[in-house]
Amino acid sequence: MTNEFSESLEKKLEETTKLGLEVVKEATEDRLMKLSVGPQHPGSGHFRFTIKVDGDYIVYCDPDPGYVHRGEEKMCEYRNFIQNIPHLERPVIHDSTNITYSYSLAVEELLGIEVPRRGQFIRAIASELNRQVYTLYWLAIYGIFLGHSTMFMWPAGDRELFIDLLTALTGARVTHAFNIPGGVRNDIPDGFKEKCLEYVNYFEKRLKEYENIFYNNPLFRQRTENVGILTKDDAINLGVTGSVLRASGVAYDVRKVEPYDVYNEIDFKVQYMKTCDSFARAYVPFLDMRESCHIIRQLLDKMPESGEVRMKLQSNPKGTPGESYKRVESGRGALSYYIVSDGSSRPYRVKISVGSFRNILALPHLLVGSRLGDMPCIYWALNYWPVEADR
Amino acid sequence: MSSSIIKKTSTATGFIKAIESGSKHLIMKRFTLRFPEQKLKFVGDGYQFDPKRGVGIAGSRGRHILFHEKCTGCQLCAITCEGIAEAIEMVKVNEKWKQNKKSIMPQIDYGKCVFCGLCVDACPFYALYMTDDFELSSFTKEHLIYTPAQLAVKPKYDGTVEVKIDERGASHG
Repeated sequence: MTNEFSESLEKKLEETTKLGLEVVKEATEDRLMKLSVGPQHPGSGHFRFTIKVDGDYIVYCDPDPGYVHRGEEKMCEYRNFIQNIPHLERPVIHDSTNITYSYSLAVEELLGIEVPRRGQFIRAIASELNRQVYTLYWLAIYGIFLGHSTMFMWPAGDRELFIDLLTALTGARVTHAFNIPGGVRNDIPDGFKEKCLEYVNYFEKRLKEYENIFYNNPLFRQRTENVGILTKDDAINLGVTGSVLRASGVAYDVRKVEPYDVYNEIDFKVQYMKTCDSFARAYVPFLDMRESCHIIRQLLDKMPESGEVRMKLQSNPKGTPGESYKRVESGRGALSYYIVSDGSSRPYRVKISVGSFRNILALPHLLVGSRLGDMPCIYWALNYWPVEADR
Repeated sequence: MSSSIIKKTSTATGFIKAIESGSKHLIMKRFTLRFPEQKLKFVGDGYQFDPKRGVGIAGSRGRHILFHEKCTGCQLCAITCEGIAEAIEMVKVNEKWKQNKKSIMPQIDYGKCVFCGLCVDACPFYALYMTDDFELSSFTKEHLIYTPAQLAVKPKYDGTVEVKIDERGASHG
């Protein structure tokens, strides 16, 4: 669109010069307006990106992450394996079980311990509940930035159900510190199973209402359909993960591809869509929520009635020299830890690779050429969490 | 594995369905906790830890409770907290206990505490637990520092409200 416009402009200029009239040529830089989105406006989270607009069209985009960088990887090197847990969940406090999940898996490999079976099930339940909490939070934000305030209130309210369950299970509302190398901190309390089933069944009914008021809403569909197309090849080449990748027609889920803990015993489908637009990216997390409900029910059903939930560790465990790499499927895609140990009680090096940081690579690709009004619906559908990406 | 295709409805049907599901909420119960008057009921008596089995006991992680007759002043809670929040400091107390020769006990700064509960996991003598009390706000930073004497007091928490789910939706009692 921009090229056509500038070509026609240049033609006109040539014609005027032929007539012998003097024209002051407008430079391209003068026509473009530079806008800075973020980092303190809630429209982008704690993340800044600079865009240049030509009229209503975005012609340039430069994401600039790093506003909330706090050096989590370096901090890990000064604390022992257990002390790392509380600060590692700070990047995504509303998905804190998943971000400590892969850390625990990696450290367990270094320490050479195995989690008891009941502990593995409780871990998976906490992780699925936390995924629901995260997705509902994301959906609430996505709703409000598209101007749908009902879709802000409903998920924010229903999120309390899962927060209630996690409070009963772990003792904290958001920062659970629940996964620990060797298992989980505590066993499930009395009556948790029934309560969990009741809430999950109720929530499944609510999901139908979400579909009616939001996903089938013609206004929402008009705003998101055929906006921000990320084709299958582009998605693979850019290296995006999670719901963004699945919305581009690639059925990839770490829970299915590399099952960890008890996920190989669970029967579930990888939900993906082939439309590749913003609507698909918004709808795939919704389908994941529905699938999570099935997973939670199966996990509760298959969980052993009694048994150990945590391996007893020595107070300051020492890792065997070597390295380990583990990954899990978080709310934003594959989340992996690469840990190197030199035989001491502290990790020698920790590398965290998160889904958010990989998904933001698609932002310039999607924004350039689209309208300014489509920016929030493209940006938020990328399922990006700035604090996690900066680490 | 399945590719999902959402059924495309006509514009009119879409609007009618959206309005219908929204207006249903006029007769549904409100899902709001009226906080200071209503308080949620927590599981158990606060987070506790059994060092013999090496497993915690589920409960809410609020402020701590310190049992003076069990604390030996071993500083393990303070050592654990060193790399996490540095909220625990060992202070002298004017009490004489047989098991606590040095007469030192933990003092917790709730301006720094992150309520992870790893200090409770570290205590081998059943001396430090957590309670349901989470309303710790104060007007000055100094009031957030709880001395061993303050930590010994069992807080009163009277949360009674539970989430109820029926055909008219979820509500708080």
